[in-house]
Amino acid sequence: MTLFGIAWRNIRQRLLTSGLTALSLALGVALVVATLVTGRIVNRAFESGSGLGYNMIVGAKGSPLQLVLNSVYFISKPIENISWAFYQEFLSAAARPDGIDGRYAASTRTAVPICMGDYFRGHRVVGTNAAFFDRLTRGDGRPFEFTAGANFTDDDFFGGVLGAAVAAHLGLRVGDSFAPTHGADDGAVHDPFKVVGILARTDTPLDRGVFVNMEGFYLQDGHAKPLPDGEAPTAVAPPQASGHVPLPFNQREVTAILLETASLPGLPAELTAMGLRTAINEGRDGQAALPVAEIRQLLDLFVRPLELLLLLVTALVVLVSAIGILVSMVGSSLERSRDVAIMRALGARRSHVLATVLIEAVLLAVGGGIAGWVLGHLLVGAIGPWITTNAGVTASVFSAAPLAEALLVPFLVVLAVVAALLPAIAAYRTDVAKWLQGPG
Amino acid sequence: MAGMANPVVELRAVRKAFVAPGGEIVPVLDIDTFALEAGEQCALEGQSGSGKSTLLNVIAGIMRPDSGNVFVGGQDIARFDEASRDRVRADTLGLVFQQFNLLPGFTALENVLVAMSFGSVRPDRTRAADLLGAVGLGHRLDHKPAELSIGQQQRVAVARALANRPRAVLADEPTASIDTRHQQQVIDLLRDSCRTEGAALLVVTHDPGVAGQFPRQVRLEDFNRAARAAASPARPA
Repeated sequence: MTLFGIAWRNIRQRLLTSGLTALSLALGVALVVATLVTGRIVNRAFESGSGLGYNMIVGAKGSPLQLVLNSVYFISKPIENISWAFYQEFLSAAARPDGIDGRYAASTRTAVPICMGDYFRGHRVVGTNAAFFDRLTRGDGRPFEFTAGANFTDDDFFGGVLGAAVAAHLGLRVGDSFAPTHGADDGAVHDPFKVVGILARTDTPLDRGVFVNMEGFYLQDGHAKPLPDGEAPTAVAPPQASGHVPLPFNQREVTAILLETASLPGLPAELTAMGLRTAINEGRDGQAALPVAEIRQLLDLFVRPLELLLLLVTALVVLVSAIGILVSMVGSSLERSRDVAIMRALGARRSHVLATVLIEAVLLAVGGGIAGWVLGHLLVGAIGPWITTNAGVTASVFSAAPLAEALLVPFLVVLAVVAALLPAIAAYRTDVAKWLQGPG
Repeated sequence: MAGMANPVVELRAVRKAFVAPGGEIVPVLDIDTFALEAGEQCALEGQSGSGKSTLLNVIAGIMRPDSGNVFVGGQDIARFDEASRDRVRADTLGLVFQQFNLLPGFTALENVLVAMSFGSVRPDRTRAADLLGAVGLGHRLDHKPAELSIGQQQRVAVARALANRPRAVLADEPTASIDTRHQQQVIDLLRDSCRTEGAALLVVTHDPGVAGQFPRQVRLEDFNRAARAAASPARPA
């Protein structure tokens, strides 16, 4: 029999104690793994917001964090809407009906409006224009890709694009129709839109979004801003071939504008962005928020300390479990002393019995550790849907924090060896003659 | 090794004393010579406290004498460090205890295999099973000690002692815990097994009936001066 075989036998001999010790370790490890993995998922999801092709969000005055969470991550509620006229200030002469550059047009490379407030079976509906997928990028700086169909065009009022997770979740395909509801899942049902494209997976909150042409969005009940008494609707473009008449401009609002800022002549891009932000924030029409800065602040101030605290608590759980190994082994040391004396009498060296006890602890730690690792991932898989719904990021049983997880088992082995050192030394020092003494 | 043809165990001028709790030094062994020939079967008698277990521990290398030479298989283990004595014990000697001392969590087969784990030769499952078969336990290989009768447990202990083809088997009162009906079976088993394996046998016993069956019988008091002094009422403090 090898020393491993002997150690394994010892574990089986004290099956209940060994099992409970390994279980407590497994639970501790499961908590650590779940904390590490969810922490990593949340961090990565938030950090992915930095490559979406825009660097500033303009919305109604209020909390800049709320603006970012709502516009980028589809978490929280929209603050309020901003006026169509304010949105127009970011457009160049060519894109405006009056043919004059907007106040901020020179500082703006791309301005994509978004309108929120509708839902489709639990998913956010975002009204926008074709520039969203034509001009912005998918989180990693690359252009959007479609697994089926293509982006809607601006004149296809009732065209819609589904995020990968939505299409998979609802089983919708290109050509299918879907009717968003107003304000909430149980709100009034709007006119149906037609799926014209399904996005390839981006691993960003966009996967959970339903994107519709804002012209169709504006035509739904409750989406037109009531006009003050006496004000007439502004002129709009003539009806489309389909017969839809666009909503007059003075009855329109947008929830936010996703901006890619430009460089003003002689100014670096960063300074242009800062100048634009200051100008907007000093005005009355809305506020400008920098998503990367807001998220970094959120992570630094709240998420990371909380994550660290959770990790510390779970590390303590693992430490307590390791002490469990020590207690279990010390508890059985009387029984072990006789076994050790027998093995020594059979010719086992002190180093053999020392190694046997350490191997026993390492087997418990590795066994408990692996069970805990699997359990931790199952836990993340089980709470994945909850994380997805509440935190706006995708989590599954396969989500991982590879580096931290790879360090976990060596860490446990070291911890187990340290915990088993005391009983191992006791075994090493066992007085063979005393334990085997018979009368005579 | 004058006077001995081929001793497996030979003690020369061996002294061993213990320190009593009061600080008093108590001599336990004071032996000029003692030897066990290859293949010889010898019964060792002695009163309680005469140093029989200490003698076995010294021969087995579990204890080191204060002075003298202890030759086991031709090597003076009194000069060896503990790890080397452990190795000599694993390779050269087989031990049978009064309390059997089987490992409770291991099956009969594993108890024999464990003994093979510490010697120089690789553990041999077939030999372990054969040994158990030879002591009549071929059908109990996977039973743990608690599932075996007292007599069967002592048979496992005998098989275990022979695991590494020892040159000598040391048995410390192997029949003391067995009912009289099984005592003779154990003695016969030990003697037959050692003869078959070519191992010398040194059996410590209190029982004159057991001792009388051995071709050589010695009393510890006859060659251990410390035991004689302990037995004398006028022994110095």
